Amino acid sequence: MKKLIKLTVNGIQREIEVEPRQTLLEVLREDLGLTGAKKGCNQGECGACTVLLDGQAVSSCLVLAVRAHGKTVLTAEGLATDGQLHALQQAFIAHGAVQCGFCTSGMLLSAKALLDRNPHLTTREIEESIDGNICRCTGYVKIIEAISAVAQNKNS
Amino acid sequence: MHLPRFQYQEPGSLAEALALLAENQGRCKVIAGGTDLLVALKQRRHLPKYLVSLDKLVPLKGIREIDSVVTIGALTTMAELIAAPLIQDKLPGLVQAAREVGSPLHRSLATIGGNLCLDTRCRFYNQSSFWRSARPTCCKMGGKVCHVTNKQNACFATYAGDLAPLLIALRASVKLASSRGERVLPLDRFYTDNGRHPNQAQDTEILTEIQMPAPAGGVTGTYKKYRERAAIDFPVVGVAVALQMDQPTGTCRDLKIVITGAGSRPVEASLAAQKLLGQELRSELIAEAATTAAKEIRPVKTSHITPRFKRQITSLLVEETIKELGGIDR
Repeated sequence: MKKLIKLTVNGIQREIEVEPRQTLLEVLREDLGLTGAKKGCNQGECGACTVLLDGQAVSSCLVLAVRAHGKTVLTAEGLATDGQLHALQQAFIAHGAVQCGFCTSGMLLSAKALLDRNPHLTTREIEESIDGNICRCTGYVKIIEAISAVAQNKNS
Repeated sequence: MHLPRFQYQEPGSLAEALALLAENQGRCKVIAGGTDLLVALKQRRHLPKYLVSLDKLVPLKGIREIDSVVTIGALTTMAELIAAPLIQDKLPGLVQAAREVGSPLHRSLATIGGNLCLDTRCRFYNQSSFWRSARPTCCKMGGKVCHVTNKQNACFATYAGDLAPLLIALRASVKLASSRGERVLPLDRFYTDNGRHPNQAQDTEILTEIQMPAPAGGVTGTYKKYRERAAIDFPVVGVAVALQMDQPTGTCRDLKIVITGAGSRPVEASLAAQKLLGQELRSELIAEAATTAAKEIRPVKTSHITPRFKRQITSLLVEETIKELGGIDR
């Protein structure tokens, strides 16, 4: 039996009928056409499906869509505002922190969740914030540099 | 892999939830954070008719201290536990243990109640139904044989929760509610040592809260975990120690050592603790106790990690943890 849920996705109010067995990831990708969150392992290990749920980074493959009722979801598509990329996105480009790109949207959102809560970040905290996001290309160094650059800009 | 079909129930009160479980005994699964359960459902390790969500049960959230007893609601997430001033102040070891659970992506969803009810794990069990179908159904799945030990009707799946060891060492209890009433069990007795049914919670019960005495009299506790990938994995082995020193004499008044990842339940290394009770903590004595602790566990090869390696790591972790809490230099 389908359930009607209301949620805010990237600032837009949505009403959508979902099957209880659909995960938030499936609804975002298949019903709303938002493919920024990637389906990687689908078991909560890789972090490619990271989205912000009420400001907290979660693996959307581990969240039932019905549980997102009344909540606010931010995906990679919602990071840019008025055609202007988010500071994190610009920093990722400037530091060459993207290779194949599969982990990037998750990395951006995990970093954003942390930066929103605590703008004064140490390198250790940045590393911990992306603990759950696996990247098989970059070796993480440039990603951490990009996030550090944004954190330093916020501080100065 | 999609989730199997189920009916989603979202009761508005605990009483309603318990009534649902009582009416549909054996056909329900309770979902809190879902980080462990959704993977199990995707792998068809459970096929419940009803999924009973605890999302609306607000009273099951939150942390409070009354008369030196700290009570933590079962729906408190790892992230909330880590950020709670009361826990940071009174139980810094628990903050440390909660930080070791999964990754930040899990910690924002996973609850303390769910963590304590974590299912046991095994390389023949934590697999997709397709993978498992290549062999006869194992004991953990309801079959007759254990593929790890080749024994009949016995399951040796490993308990690998991160919070239980420290909470047992700090003498925590859990409250289980059912439609017939409530019962409080010491956490130590909550676990069964039966890989198939790792804890005492019945189909009709919900774990509602965790209670423990606020550490007093210089009791300190901490948890150390060894895992393959520091960022996300379950423990290969984890060791929790709670220690109380007798201040003027400098001897060990109370000590509890509890080990996870080393058996079908959190294992208390009581012989090792006895070696140190009433003694002054010295490096050689601690090393001896650590060797004893490694002999007290009975690890089974439920992952690609060998029991021998688990014993070695246990010994190292026990030694390191006691030295750190006792303030002893290497």
